[in-house]
Amino acid sequence: MATVTAPALDLAARFPQAVRPDTRPGYSGWIVEKDHLLEVATALRDEFGYDLLSSVTGVDYYPDTMEVVYHAYKTTGGPGIVFKVQVPRQDPIEVPSVTPIWAGAEFQEREAWDLLGIRFVGHPDLRRILTWEGFAGHPLRKDWKEPFYEEEAKPYKSRWPDGKFFYAEEKNPFKDNLKFPPDFNPEDWTPDKADALLYASLARYLKSDDELKTDRVIINLGPQHPSTHGVFRAVAVLDGETVVALKPVVGYLHRNHEKIGERNTFLQNMPFTDRLDYFNSMSNNWAYALAVEKLMGIQVPERAEYLRVIMAELSRIQNHLILIGMLLNDLGAYFTPSLYAFEERELILDIFEAASGSRMMCNYHRFGGVVRDIPPEALQKLKGLVYDRLPRKVDEFDRLLTENEILVSRLKGVGKLSAEDAIRYSITGPVLRACGVPYDVRRAEPYGIYDRFDFDVAVRYNGDVYDWYLIRLDEIRQSLRILDQAIRQMPEGPVMSTKPQYQVRVPPGEAYGRIEAPKGELGFYVVSNGKPNPWRYHVRAPSFVNITALEKMCVGNKIADFVVILGAIDIVLGELDR
Amino acid sequence: MDYALLIEWTLKSLILLLVLLGGFAYLTLYERKALARIQVRIGPNRAGPWGILQPVADGIKLIFKEEFTPASADKLLFFLAPLITVVPALVIAAVVPWGPPVEIFGRRVTLQVADLNVGVLYVMAIASISVYGIVLAGWASNNKYAMLGGMRSSAQMISYELALGLAFVTAILLADSMQLSEIVAAQRNVWFVVLQPVGAAIFLIATLAEVNRAPFDMPEAEQELTAGYHTEYSGMKFALFFMAEYDKMIVVSALAASLFFGGYWGPGVERFPWLGPVYMAIKVIILLFGMIWVRATLPRIRYDRLMSLGWKVLFPLALAVAFITALGILLEQLWLVPLLSLLAAFLTSLLVTRAIWRKVYA
Repeated sequence: MATVTAPALDLAARFPQAVRPDTRPGYSGWIVEKDHLLEVATALRDEFGYDLLSSVTGVDYYPDTMEVVYHAYKTTGGPGIVFKVQVPRQDPIEVPSVTPIWAGAEFQEREAWDLLGIRFVGHPDLRRILTWEGFAGHPLRKDWKEPFYEEEAKPYKSRWPDGKFFYAEEKNPFKDNLKFPPDFNPEDWTPDKADALLYASLARYLKSDDELKTDRVIINLGPQHPSTHGVFRAVAVLDGETVVALKPVVGYLHRNHEKIGERNTFLQNMPFTDRLDYFNSMSNNWAYALAVEKLMGIQVPERAEYLRVIMAELSRIQNHLILIGMLLNDLGAYFTPSLYAFEERELILDIFEAASGSRMMCNYHRFGGVVRDIPPEALQKLKGLVYDRLPRKVDEFDRLLTENEILVSRLKGVGKLSAEDAIRYSITGPVLRACGVPYDVRRAEPYGIYDRFDFDVAVRYNGDVYDWYLIRLDEIRQSLRILDQAIRQMPEGPVMSTKPQYQVRVPPGEAYGRIEAPKGELGFYVVSNGKPNPWRYHVRAPSFVNITALEKMCVGNKIADFVVILGAIDIVLGELDR
Repeated sequence: MDYALLIEWTLKSLILLLVLLGGFAYLTLYERKALARIQVRIGPNRAGPWGILQPVADGIKLIFKEEFTPASADKLLFFLAPLITVVPALVIAAVVPWGPPVEIFGRRVTLQVADLNVGVLYVMAIASISVYGIVLAGWASNNKYAMLGGMRSSAQMISYELALGLAFVTAILLADSMQLSEIVAAQRNVWFVVLQPVGAAIFLIATLAEVNRAPFDMPEAEQELTAGYHTEYSGMKFALFFMAEYDKMIVVSALAASLFFGGYWGPGVERFPWLGPVYMAIKVIILLFGMIWVRATLPRIRYDRLMSLGWKVLFPLALAVAFITALGILLEQLWLVPLLSLLAAFLTSLLVTRAIWRKVYA
């Protein structure tokens, strides 16, 4: 599992005109000519079996080129393939869209358009996604400067090393350095203008074609809504109570995580990843550490590897428990299941607190290990949890919920997705596995020490919300199996392979670290140019990619089902909006 | 005109109203405490000992909250809707007998505000009025969620009133009267829940739907419709909807107790008539706990499933049960009634379970 790609497959021989290997030091994969992208992509999917497009993103190699990076994998397992398209960095930057081949690219391409200004030709609905219509510029471009811009990279000289700091805001009073495009007046800008494109894309659903000529209603669910799990908004067209069309609107929590990540040093990003999926900071840490460790080429000591597995699996258990509890809440069970779930979660968070010092924002991993060892008392507590309490509690959940008639009648057949569609939409994680695709990164391309453990990849075959629910219970049980083995096998020893340091030296190159996070495949694409700060820091967030298929799941179901489907996909807005 | 009679009526009405309003306040506390216990929490315990002043604090808060009327709302209906909802909830209570007749100052007083000879019909008629309040609230708010909530509630009310009515019929048949005091008096030896357990079950389920309680709280379905018909309401107007729901809970529990659980009857009532209201209160509190328990335990049924449950399951079952009761009375073989009813209920639940598990994968 050294690098992301293993160029066993000679793409250049298959497409001599269109493809050449990426020979930059530290880089791997292939560079595809823009005009042949669709042809190569089709061949990759159909001939070579790379059916799952994991990530699409862009990198701004200021001032010459703009690059679009694709990571594709096989759902049957094994290493993936990286290919890139390079275009001159002059507007309009146009790249063909791969949505006809991998529908899951839809939101990711919108994101790349939004943040980098790469226009994807042939995209069905190319609107801004994380920022709003009317936002000036594309923030991830290297020549885009935020208001109160101070310096390219942290640590800012004004605040460090002397500790005498001032805030840029104090030097530049509010509004003094805000610049707007010439035709933009913030005083009379209304959100309606931003939504015009959105409503236009829904207009064709408003006419009903049945005999009664009934009216259809547009309903905005969110951004303030009790069951969208945060500031998520979905604009639904309803026929009675049936959903006819639905567009997710995201970005209300957008803080341009990636731009801030580029300003931060490599290590400063570690606590920052906690804030993505704030339920699973342990997993986020790991994925990021994995990517940077690949770049640095360092190993992790044994004990740290085991600690990482233990923390990640605990985090999966608590995530799934909360998901089940909150799913029941979305079904209208008044908080009882979720409070039962929270009780167990608190006990797991106790372990996190003992090991890392924090319950939610753990910041536990470091490049080359973990920050500190787990105290013996916490280990004792952990054994009590894993061997005694959690298995009992999972069985209790199973007994109380699984055969409840109302639950079954609400969940069965809702949000049905076929295995083919799930793959096409790049869905990963429990939802994909519940659709009948036994694809789990821990098994498909093992990272860390997952190849040592004996566990089953949970899989269910109906692809409806009931199976999405059941698979969470299955996964908790498998996680307990892994935990059992990990606790027994964990050796003594150091937990860091390198000297603890504030500034790590990361050689130039690119790396894609991905793990099986509780919500799906979590990937970090990191590009370094040898400086203390990453040149590009991209998060492939499972919540974000998984809602690409939200409309497909919801159409034809009732409005009450939308809430359940959204809850069962398991999104966290911190990660979705980044 | 007998002045004493006038005073008696006034006093009885006043006491009933006060009991209901106070009961509403303390029912919220009761519910919060019970829910908290079920959910491994403690519940309100800050205002006063054991949180007993919590309803007072809530009331003060609601009174001083801003009363907000949306600009595009229909002002008159928006104002009227909470009243239309809350008044019937209070008025139904008039016919509930709270105890056997007692002697006060040498005067025979019935512990009931009005002993109508068509008491059951009166209940059915008045209870249905409050749905107008909900529909109008939804419509007058000029809000899509509120509108959906209002529509849901009218559809739900229609589907459940039939089953509810037929459950009433079983009690009427068994007592051979529509007068609530006589229905209760007829249960002196045997409670009707023993004779007609299925009718009682249908009554309890249908009343859950009637008062919009979980798992039938479609009209306010928080997870889907934010707050349903009262999305746009705040302050005391909102409190009135709340009051209507909780008062109705008390009243239907009292009705259920009267119709099926022996009303005020209990050991010793014949000798000490004043025990009647005590037994009644205990029964009401137990039935209320049932409602709270259901809310803490069950997820909500989806709107369309709720309609099919009402029309395809409860209504036919209620018809069958009414028929069985009539048959048992006609043949003068009362032991047949619970037996056949339970058989019918068992068959129904078997079919429903099969339908749920078989669905979809066809």
